[in-house]
Amino acid sequence: MADTLIELFADVLQVEPAALNDNSSPDSVRQWDSLAAMHLVAAIEDKFKIQLSTKEIMKMSSIGLARKTLQDKNVKV
Amino acid sequence: MTAPDPKTAWRQYQKQPGAADITIGLAASFTLEPLEPFLGAYLLGKNLEPEFSVAPFGQLQQLCINHKHAVGDTNAIVMLWRIEDMFAAKLAATLDAADALPALLDDIRQFAASVSQLRRNFSGTLIVSTPPFPSLPGFSAFELASPAMQVYTAAAQTWAQEMAKVDRLRVLDLQALLIEHGARHAHDARKWQLYRQPYTETFWQAIGTQIGRIIAAEKTSPKKCIVLDLDNTIWGGVIGEDGLGGIALGDEFPGRAFRDFQRYLMHLKSKGVMLAVASKNNPADAFEVFDKHDAMVLNRRDIVGFEIHWESKVDSIKRIAAKLNIGLDAIVFVDDNPKEIGEVQERLPTVSCLLVPEELADLPALLANTDLFDTLQVTDEDRKRTDMMAADQQRSQIQETLSEEDFRKSLQLKIDVFTAEKQHLARITQLVNKTNQFNLTTIRRTQDEIEKLSASPDAVVLGMNISDKYGDYGLVGAAILKKNGATADIDTLLMSCRVLGRGAEETFIAQLAAAAVSLGCTALRGKYVPTAKNEMVKDLYPHLKFAGDGDGWLLKTADAPKIPAHIDASLRLPESPIMNKNKEGQS
Repeated sequence: MADTLIELFADVLQVEPAALNDNSSPDSVRQWDSLAAMHLVAAIEDKFKIQLSTKEIMKMSSIGLARKTLQDKNVKV
Repeated sequence: MTAPDPKTAWRQYQKQPGAADITIGLAASFTLEPLEPFLGAYLLGKNLEPEFSVAPFGQLQQLCINHKHAVGDTNAIVMLWRIEDMFAAKLAATLDAADALPALLDDIRQFAASVSQLRRNFSGTLIVSTPPFPSLPGFSAFELASPAMQVYTAAAQTWAQEMAKVDRLRVLDLQALLIEHGARHAHDARKWQLYRQPYTETFWQAIGTQIGRIIAAEKTSPKKCIVLDLDNTIWGGVIGEDGLGGIALGDEFPGRAFRDFQRYLMHLKSKGVMLAVASKNNPADAFEVFDKHDAMVLNRRDIVGFEIHWESKVDSIKRIAAKLNIGLDAIVFVDDNPKEIGEVQERLPTVSCLLVPEELADLPALLANTDLFDTLQVTDEDRKRTDMMAADQQRSQIQETLSEEDFRKSLQLKIDVFTAEKQHLARITQLVNKTNQFNLTTIRRTQDEIEKLSASPDAVVLGMNISDKYGDYGLVGAAILKKNGATADIDTLLMSCRVLGRGAEETFIAQLAAAAVSLGCTALRGKYVPTAKNEMVKDLYPHLKFAGDGDGWLLKTADAPKIPAHIDASLRLPESPIMNKNKEGQS
């Protein structure tokens, strides 16, 4: 089954899901610039009906770290 | 069925964008990228395919100086700005020193001057925001003894005064949107700190929708007629059962909701929307309410057509459209019965249908909360539309009792042809862009282009006003002549179809000939450019004795048609006001 979080990142960054994994970060994905980071936060908050603090947002510097941050908030990803 | 959410719709479109119908440059004193999906999805919903180019944030001044460099060559430019971004230090100073306000207002005036400069260099649609009440710690109307409200009011007023001087500016009232949405729900401190992006997603959606409405209103026509049910739609209860004293209409709820709804209908009528009735009722019962109920806001005379009987509302709506000579897609149907709404939706899918809400408190704003009547300017002709329809009905009644010649004489037709001045340009632009049938060349132009022609020494833009003893038709004809040596080319010639066949065509051509003489010409040259809709004027020129010369139709000004004797004609040209009394039998 497709990974919800990977799909969300792929959709916002407009890349193929196969091109992403938990190690993907702004350094490895060209499309992941500061504007994309802003759109990602909006998409994550929409999708999981949560609100992230600035601390949590700052921690999300890779897909894996975003997953961990969300899991810490009891979001199943 | 629900529409896909805006972000999904926009993302899907971005994967396979079509050729853009409209290119829009976006700029703000803050990060505005979250606007794109909401504005984009709104326009897609209006069958417009937009393409955006975004100026880097904080580049408003640069955009004003060189918009092509900042956003490229676009059809529209949208500018959003806030005082706390543009003039942070001077705004902060106003909180501490009473004499700091003038310096802030000076900066605001200078920025306004930059916007006027942009207006002069950019001929497309220009949308500029009002400044919203600042979101800044300490800048609060709640802080006791704070001058915040006075400072904001002075700043907003200064901006409004300057913007009122800018031509063809579309104002996005960001402050009004902020009030409507609620400042607390509009601001997101996290996103401001992280991304220089001040607003919540829901507020971006509100901004996107509002900008979209302004842009779409330039490209689409508003609805022209509302067809209303009566029982439980403009009054509460059923007149045939409850009687005049039993229906709900007046000061106390629920009658108040129906009365307020009628008041909003009258407001729309004043903007040129026509009101009609389609009701399953006994006509005598229904008219009794119009004639005798004290709390009725709507009068019989406010209604352009009544369909009160027990037949299908689908047929009623079709008859109303035919009578008003408008398309079904220009009609909004309001009814409290889901079955009637369903039947109309199914059989007349282009009619916009609105169901009276279950919660009657929401009825007064039912129409105000839609974009169906969005229009950017209301002309005098729009305001008078219902009266003109009534005058038309009077004319047709008289026409049936008289011979054609006596009827023409009885009308006491007055036709005034004049050089267009600034105040006529909005209406002439409207005619140029929507007249399909009596239109010889169907050249569409923006108001800017028409204004330039009217200022040119080698062209003349003419308008034609018509009135008769039953009423004023208003400005219903327009023509553009271009000097081409000793010949004046008729670049544009058009007329509203409602005034045809009573001598207006001959009169207009006679006056065009006189205007051509004033340009120093001795002949008129006209062309007929066929379209799918202008067949009716195919033979206009030969009919008026123009001679075909392979390159159009030529008429010496000396051979111009005579103005029919029953018409009181006048001609007003700028240099030489000539009263043309050159009538048949008097020359």
